[in-house]
Amino acid sequence: MNCDEAKTILLLYRPGTADAEDPDVAEALALAEREGELKEWQVIHCARQAALRGTFHQIAAPAGLKEQIISEQAAQERMRVWRKQVALTAVAAVLLLMAFGSFWYSRPAPEDTLVIYQNQMAGVALRGYAMDVVTNDPATIRAYLAQNHAPADFILPAPLQQAVLAGCAVENWQGVKVAMVCFRTRQAPPEVTSDLWLFIVDRKSVRKSPAGTAPQLSKINRLTTATWTQGDQLYFLGTAGDMQTLQQYL
Amino acid sequence: MAEGMDFDSLVARYYEPLYQFAFSLTRDEADACDLVQQSFCIWANKGHQLRDLTKVKTWLFTTLHREFLSACRKRTRFPHVELEHAAGDLPVVTPPSVNQLDTAQVLLALAQLDEVYQAPVALFYLQDYSYNEIASILEVPLGTVKSRLARGLERLHQLLTGEKNTTLKQNNL
Repeated sequence: MNCDEAKTILLLYRPGTADAEDPDVAEALALAEREGELKEWQVIHCARQAALRGTFHQIAAPAGLKEQIISEQAAQERMRVWRKQVALTAVAAVLLLMAFGSFWYSRPAPEDTLVIYQNQMAGVALRGYAMDVVTNDPATIRAYLAQNHAPADFILPAPLQQAVLAGCAVENWQGVKVAMVCFRTRQAPPEVTSDLWLFIVDRKSVRKSPAGTAPQLSKINRLTTATWTQGDQLYFLGTAGDMQTLQQYL
Repeated sequence: MAEGMDFDSLVARYYEPLYQFAFSLTRDEADACDLVQQSFCIWANKGHQLRDLTKVKTWLFTTLHREFLSACRKRTRFPHVELEHAAGDLPVVTPPSVNQLDTAQVLLALAQLDEVYQAPVALFYLQDYSYNEIASILEVPLGTVKSRLARGLERLHQLLTGEKNTTLKQNNL
């Protein structure tokens, strides 16, 4: 190693660092110890390097930079948490809405089941009603019902055909017309105009309608009732009398 | 977050050397602050990806340098000026007064160096990093770092003192 090569190496030498552990640097430093001119160059060079290094270390960070970085990060963290919460809330809300919508649209509508229909029609019979037509003429009744878009082509069981017709009315069920045919039984007191009622409706408008023509007997509210289907229609017959009375007309 | 060191401690420990490095590159307080803040912000978001937590400091310096280069690419206010063209505008400091240099003069001279020399020279003076660490921060080979440092220091010295050092030329560096 000559002096120029040593200068090249020592150009990057920083006293007081691990640079001296490098074999080339160590050799160059050893040469500088022996060569006066090189030693003189190295001393001046190191002094300059120290001065330059000092100027770099004089760079001072502005006051408050550390606090600004920390507070900014804390604010961003809060914002991140807030955004996350908002996003989670939004997702939860959407899921809740979807679940609610799914439940709402998939659940059976309680209003269109047979039980509700029976209760509603029994309520009509029990709470009082006004017959649209008061007559004992079957043809007049059918004509009126047909004219008002209620089922008019109903089929009466043979015993019921023997009952005394009192009149009819048109009721409403979920936007569907229901024919209400009123009869008067032999047991009816004189002041009662009708005590036996037959409701006829399109069977498709009532879910869980009984499948067959055999009447299903039940007590609905204070009415003794029989329910059956025939053709496209659902029949619901009710009376304030007992089961025996009802069965006389089935 | 580095094991055993939360964000606040990390900032307290490294913001100053990072600022010194950033300022030596940008020579602008606001830009330097932005670079430091951006580096810590990136650490907060991506620091967990660093597996070797002993390299946090190197990671931060590398990130800052990348951000600086990225900003330089976006801006046009860092025109490249050839040393030979700018030399006439620089204050020539005589050798005996090198000890009286202030930071502004040195950074002004540093700014006249080719961009590839600025970061290694700044790290050389600022952090006492080994050449391997400087190579790691700047993501260049060790030999390149040494070469750039030699040329950068030579030219910085030349700018500040007006002396023509022929050491490198003689040794084909």
